[in-house]
Amino acid sequence: MVGTASTTPPPPAGGSGGLPQFDISNWPGQIVWILLIFAVLYAFMAWVILPRISGAIDDREEKISGDVGEARRLRDKAQAEAEAAALEVAQARAQGLRLAAQAQTEAKARAAARQAEEEARLNALVSAAESRIAEARASAMGHVTSIAQDAAAAMVERLTGVAANQGELDRALASSEAA
Amino acid sequence: MAAIEPMEQFLVRKIAPLPPVVVPGLGPIDLSITNSVLVMLIAAGALMLFFLLAARRQVVPGRMQAAAEMVYGMVDNVLTGGIIGDKGRAYLPFIFTLFLLIACLNVLGLAPGGFSVTAQLAVTSALAVMTFVTVLAVGFALNGLSFFKLFMPSGMPLPMALLIMPIELISFFVRPLTLAMRLFGNMLGGHVVTYMFASFVVGLGLFGIEGAGIAKLGLLGSGVSFALIVALMTLEFVVAFLQAFVFAALACVYLNEVVNLGHGH
Repeated sequence: MVGTASTTPPPPAGGSGGLPQFDISNWPGQIVWILLIFAVLYAFMAWVILPRISGAIDDREEKISGDVGEARRLRDKAQAEAEAAALEVAQARAQGLRLAAQAQTEAKARAAARQAEEEARLNALVSAAESRIAEARASAMGHVTSIAQDAAAAMVERLTGVAANQGELDRALASSEAA
Repeated sequence: MAAIEPMEQFLVRKIAPLPPVVVPGLGPIDLSITNSVLVMLIAAGALMLFFLLAARRQVVPGRMQAAAEMVYGMVDNVLTGGIIGDKGRAYLPFIFTLFLLIACLNVLGLAPGGFSVTAQLAVTSALAVMTFVTVLAVGFALNGLSFFKLFMPSGMPLPMALLIMPIELISFFVRPLTLAMRLFGNMLGGHVVTYMFASFVVGLGLFGIEGAGIAKLGLLGSGVSFALIVALMTLEFVVAFLQAFVFAALACVYLNEVVNLGHGH
């Protein structure tokens, strides 16, 4: 640009003396042009560009908040489902425990009843057997008495040569039995 | 060796002359395409092309769409949303356009062979006055005549008010001037300093090559100047975005005052 300086004669205010910016002759044109260009640029930005940019930003925020909301909704749903499932499991467990306890008590009661029944039957058998034994014993003892009588009568007859008195034999046996 | 003319880079030159447009009351206005206007057109065209390609409505953005949305988010969160608040959305297109146009013009001014439109006081003044008028228009549209409460802090005793009101008025009406001068000065200063160091690179370099003995130190000076230009250019890129941001942020601050007038801010 230094080389071209000589081709155009500098205006009076330019050159090495003062600032060319203070040369008023080129002010009106520059002022009109910068205002005109600003106006056009303003209109272009305000009506074409900025709505697009803010629209894109709004779209993005909407999409993000929508996606986040959807994700939150799905998470809440999953959580609720998990809670319901856990509740169901707990209920089932409780019911199972209750059923088990019930079955146990029932089984216990049944076992106890059967045991008691069996015991009663066995007791009856035992007492029947005991009474039979006592009968047998009594009858056996009866036989022993008559055998002893016979033996005593035979011994008395052999020793004394006299048949033994039946009444005395009975007495003697009774006294020995009592002793 | 060419003369060192640091201001030559700011000369406005006609590229395509157009017949002057006569505006009633103002006289003829020369709307010829100059190097300044050409860079403005390139900036506007580049911005429109970029955003036409970048502003898509994909849920998963590509690189360009992500960049466009990042700029939008920065303006929305930091500038209009952060400074003006909930009512700031309405002014987002204005601030968005202002920030991007100034940033783009600043960066194009740094391009090799480019022209720094934002180092033209006419341009920064036009943008500053436009911002000022917008603030005034919004202020009166929203508040009517209670707009003047802006200069009269509530609950102030009369003697104090008489003192404060002129100060408030001056600080209000000086805004377009400071807005214009800040951007203009930053761009002008950066370009002039860069130009000066660039002329040192060439001047001291030639001096070192042609001279002998102690003059060889010129080569060292040339190298240091070159390193400084690299550092300065880095700084200038930061400044290009920073000044665009400052301009837009101040526009937001001024808008906030009239939008949230009397709501305590």
